Amino acid sequence: MPEILRIKQLSAGYGPLRVLHEIDFTVSEGERIGLVGLNGHGKTTLIRAITHMTGWQQGSIKLDGEEIGGTRSLGAGRRTAALVKKGIAVAPQGDAIFPGLSVRKHLECGAHTKLAWRNRRRRIDEILQIFPPLRSLQHNLVGKLSGGERRMVSVGRMLMSDARLYLIDEPSLGLAPKISQRVMDALWALPVTGAMIIAEQNVSLLSGRADRILGMHAGRMRGDIGHVELN
Amino acid sequence: MDLGLIIYALNLASIYALMAIGISILWSSVGMINMAHGATFATSGYAAWFVSGALKPAIAATFGKTVMASVMMASVVMLSAVLAGAFCGAVIYALAFLPIHDKPNYSVRSLIITLALNIGVVQSLLWYFGPRNRGLPKVFGFGRWELLDTKIRYDQAGTIVGASLVMILTLAWLRYSRRGLEVRAMMQNAEGAAYSGISRQATALPVLMLTGALAGVAAALLSQTIFVSPTAGVIPLVKGLTIALLGGLGSVSGAVAAAILIGFLEAIVGVIPFLGQRYVMFATFSFIILVLIFRPRGIGGLLDNTRE
Repeated sequence: MPEILRIKQLSAGYGPLRVLHEIDFTVSEGERIGLVGLNGHGKTTLIRAITHMTGWQQGSIKLDGEEIGGTRSLGAGRRTAALVKKGIAVAPQGDAIFPGLSVRKHLECGAHTKLAWRNRRRRIDEILQIFPPLRSLQHNLVGKLSGGERRMVSVGRMLMSDARLYLIDEPSLGLAPKISQRVMDALWALPVTGAMIIAEQNVSLLSGRADRILGMHAGRMRGDIGHVELN
Repeated sequence: MDLGLIIYALNLASIYALMAIGISILWSSVGMINMAHGATFATSGYAAWFVSGALKPAIAATFGKTVMASVMMASVVMLSAVLAGAFCGAVIYALAFLPIHDKPNYSVRSLIITLALNIGVVQSLLWYFGPRNRGLPKVFGFGRWELLDTKIRYDQAGTIVGASLVMILTLAWLRYSRRGLEVRAMMQNAEGAAYSGISRQATALPVLMLTGALAGVAAALLSQTIFVSPTAGVIPLVKGLTIALLGGLGSVSGAVAAAILIGFLEAIVGVIPFLGQRYVMFATFSFIILVLIFRPRGIGGLLDNTRE
C-alpha cells in the first residue's frame, strides 16, 4: 500500500512551550487510524501541526511523498488553505462553522476542487443521506443548530472534496452517546479513497473498527496499543 | 417630515453606505482597516474628472449635442471612477497586504501602511492638481422633478437609485457567486475558511478591488452634488469608518442600516433651528458613541446572524 502521510521526528508547540516530542509514524492508503490519549496529551496539537495551524520546531511531514512546508512552519494557519487544496480534509475541534450560512451553503464551502464544485449538488445529497437529521434542516442557518447537528455539518463539509487524508478531531466530544455513535458509524460507512485519522478519547468508539489504534502520552507516540481498553 | 428632507437624508445615507459596507466587508474578510479608502475616493474623483475632460472633445465631435453625448459622458465618468477605485484597491493589495499578510501584527501594520498611503496620495493630488475644486460633468443631467410640492433634483434621485442598485448588485454577488460564498465564509470564520481551502491571499485581491470600486462609485455620485478636491475623501472616510463601526464591523446589513440612521440624523439636526449645520458632526459622533457604549458590537447583531 502506498504511503500517504509520513511524519518524522516532529516536535511542535505553542511559542516556547513544546507539546509534541519527536513524533514518528506513517499512514498508508486505505487505513483508518485511531489516535487516542487523555486530554492535553497532544492529539489536537498533532492534527493542528499537520494542517499548519500550529507551528512546529523540527521534523518533517510528508504528504504523498512530498514535504509540506519544509522543516519549520510559521503556524497560525497561513498555509492551511494551500494544504487543504493539496488533499487534506479536516473536521476540527470546535467545528469551525460558518454561523450565518445555511446547511447547504456550508457544505458547498467544502467543495473547493473543480470536480467537487461541479458535482456539489449530488455530493450534498449524498451527505444528507449519511446524516438524515440534516435533511429537514438543509435551509436553516448553521448557527442555529444544536451541537450534534453542527458536528454533522462539520464532518459533512470535510467530506465534500476528494482528499487524500481525512483528519477528524474528537468527533464524540460534547455529544450524547447515541449521536456520537451515529457520527462514528457514518465515518466507518464511508468509502474512503485515502486515509483517515480520528483523534478520540473514547477508545470504545474505535475499538474493533480502526485498522490501528495509536496511543499518545505526554506528547509522545506510544505506538500501536492494540484493541484494548485504555485506562 | 417633508419629502425634501427625506430625499436629502437618503442621499447622504447612500454615499455613507457605499463607503461603510466597503470598510466593513474588508475588515471582516481581509482583516484590514483600510485608512486609504479616503485616498481611493479622492483618486477616483480625479480620475473621472481627468478622463472625462480628456474625452470631452472626442465625444462632442462624434455625437454633437445629442442625448447620446450626455449618455456617453455619464458612462465615461462612472466607468473611469469605478476602474480607478478598483485599481487603487489592487495597489493597496500590492503595498499594504501582500508584503505583510503573513507577519505578526498584520492588522496594525496594514492600518499604518494604509494611513501613510492615504496621506501620501492626498498630498500628491494636492501637489499635482492643486487645491482648486473641480466639477464633474453631470451624470444625471440638470433639472428637477416636482413631486408633492417638493423639488427633487436629478442628481439626488440618481444618487439614491444608483447607490441602491450598486449595493443590491454587491449583495447579490456576495450571496450567489462562488467567490462571494468564499468571502462570506472568510467573514464568518477565518479558521473554518482555511479548512475549506479558502485562503486570505486569494480573497484579498477581489475584495480590495470591489471595495475600491464601491468607493469609486461613491466618489462619482457625491461629486454630482459637491466638488472633486484632494481632501474630498477625508469626510467620507471618517463617516464610512464610524458608520461601519456603528453597524457592527463585518455586518453588511448593519452598515446599511447605520448609514440610513446617520443620514436621517444629519438631515434632521441640520434643520433644527437652534442646532443647524454646525452641530451635525457633533450630533453624529455623540450618537455613535452613545450607541457603542450600550451596544459595543454595533447594531449589526440585531439584524443578522453573520456572527455568533
